[in-house]
Amino acid sequence: MLTALFVSCASAQSEERLKACAACHGADGNSTIAGTPSIAGQPRIFLENYLVMTREGIRGTDVMQGLLKGVPDRDIVALAVHFSKLKPGTPKEETDENLFRRGREVAAKNRCASCHEKNFQGREQMPRLAGQREEFLAEAMLQYRQNRRPGGDTLMAAALYGIPEADFKALAHYFSRLK
Amino acid sequence: MNKKAFALAAASTLALTIQAAYAQDKPKPPPAWHQGKPPALAESKLAPVPGKMTETSAAEIPIDKMKLPKGFTAEIWATGLVGARAMTLNEDQSKMWVGTRGIGRIYEVSNEGGKRTVKVLAEKLTQPTSVYANGALYVFAIDKVLRYDNAAKGAAGQPVDMTQAFELPPEQHHNWKYVRVGPDKKLYVPFGAPCNICEPPTKEYAQIRRYNLDGTGKEVIATGVRNTQGFDWHPKSGELWFTDHGRDWLGDNGPEDELNRLSKPGQNFGYPYCHANKVVDPDVAKGKKDACKDVTLPVTTMGPHTAVMGIHFYTGSMFPKEYQGVAFIARKGSWNRTKKLGYDVVTVKAGPDGKGAKITPFATGFMDPKDDSFWGRPAYLAQLNDGSLLVSDEQLGAIYRISYQK
Ligand code: HEC
Ligand code: HEC
Repeated sequence: MLTALFVSCASAQSEERLKACAACHGADGNSTIAGTPSIAGQPRIFLENYLVMTREGIRGTDVMQGLLKGVPDRDIVALAVHFSKLKPGTPKEETDENLFRRGREVAAKNRCASCHEKNFQGREQMPRLAGQREEFLAEAMLQYRQNRRPGGDTLMAAALYGIPEADFKALAHYFSRLK
Repeated sequence: MNKKAFALAAASTLALTIQAAYAQDKPKPPPAWHQGKPPALAESKLAPVPGKMTETSAAEIPIDKMKLPKGFTAEIWATGLVGARAMTLNEDQSKMWVGTRGIGRIYEVSNEGGKRTVKVLAEKLTQPTSVYANGALYVFAIDKVLRYDNAAKGAAGQPVDMTQAFELPPEQHHNWKYVRVGPDKKLYVPFGAPCNICEPPTKEYAQIRRYNLDGTGKEVIATGVRNTQGFDWHPKSGELWFTDHGRDWLGDNGPEDELNRLSKPGQNFGYPYCHANKVVDPDVAKGKKDACKDVTLPVTTMGPHTAVMGIHFYTGSMFPKEYQGVAFIARKGSWNRTKKLGYDVVTVKAGPDGKGAKITPFATGFMDPKDDSFWGRPAYLAQLNDGSLLVSDEQLGAIYRISYQK
């Protein structure tokens, strides 16, 4: 009886939490808010890592840290599983051909796909970049460059060494238009 | 020209330059940072092995899969230490501190009455490690140094921020630090090369330094060190022996990781031009004569991409005599290789001068070569006062104790 109560209480809590996430990231995990990334279809391990880092106060925004404060590992894993199973949305149609081409070139030259997978759909701890919001991707790359995205594998920041910031825009445009 | 028109003109020239840059078909040679992924490996899907950032309970750890020489047994000594790396103990070993990377924590483990309890001592740090010496605990993050003055019975009070004194460079890649206090009562601190292969951007990288305990007296004692992850002092000679990771993206078989010996301060260990046993770097040493001139070669190479981590010279009385003074080395295991290698603890038996080094597997079974799967990644070693050996497992956030009985 007591356990049943506890379980339903815990699941009510996670319902609430999911609603809170949806307010920013979209009910289907695909964001329509500038600066807020889509999280649908991200690899489970990437999500787990990000959410743990956020709970620890290392990553993410104050609001997310508040939502995740004290949340046990098993609930973090459940959140990660939930969002990893949602379907990524369709990318924006209108494309700047020059920027797209440049982005594709830079990504190929720097072998970004060796970690992020061929179509940039991500795997394990490496996030999906395909179809992600453009402005978010560009900002994330700047953050890696400026040591403002702590907690992750430093190999990611190292992968961007020597790439001019102007090319971050091209990379972001390219990834954001991929399915 | 009025201000607005000028701004417009400037904006359109800018747009033109950007377009010109994009229209350029001839690719510029890659900057030094990028070198090291040859066209032959363009389609390679090798990527780092994901760590685990959630807790693993003792029941989930397949400790019985660990294989040891006859007479040795392993038990789970502590769990709940997500991302556990280097361990440091107080004198009576009632307290141990364990550092991490991504999760940003220093754990304090209380070892009392045959039981271990774990608490988080410090958090939100960038890849912190710690070392205990003479009542104080020194915490080194990539960008911060803290000292707990009152730590002999567990770290108490607020730490003193000593960051300024250490002149830490800004790049973070390969700059997690293994830190120890040497027999000379100085702090030994490594600064890795912030790339796979490059001429480091300044002279602050690819080296080991030592400092007085207060951060004064900075001295670079070894150069050409790509990414050392552990060191110890030889029990007979008192010389520093250290592990070093070889570069990536030159294929499955090399260049191998290294075990090095510093016989006098100031020695150069070859990076970025000369790796392992005189492997001349094909990217940055092109056209360079004598890339290996004046380079101190390793005591032994330690296998390609095996990720050699902690080293500990055994000085206890529990293990059989043949282990006296032998180096135990944890190899966390490879990612930049099509078949996994490492994922074990090996011993290296050598003379005090490093001659005649022989590598023998000690703790194995973490990885199954049949299907390339693994469950644990041994990272660091520590010796308990009873002579048993502790091994930290970064993957499962656990510490195992290896003991011997005739
Ligand atoms: C108030 C708005 C807001 C709420 C509520 C919110 N997020 Fe976020 N989330 C953001 C923003 C903004 C970012 C980008 C921050 C950054 O750069 O890391 C982000 C980033 C993320 C990321 C990283 C995605 C990536 O590709 O790097 C994940 C995962 C995530 N949020 C999950 C969640 C979950 C799960 C919840 C609910 C528990 C949640 N968020 C609630 C605004 C929000
Ligand atoms: C060695 C593997 C590796 C390579 C190569 C690599 N990445 Fe990453 N990347 C990662 C990992 C791991 C993360 C997540 C790290 C974290 O949590 O901060 C990441 C994160 C990112 C993000 C943040 C996305 C998000 O949703 O949070 C962007 C953008 C990105 N990478 C772009 C690139 C680009 C562009 C390249 C090529 C220049 C590249 N990556 C090459 C491993 C890699």
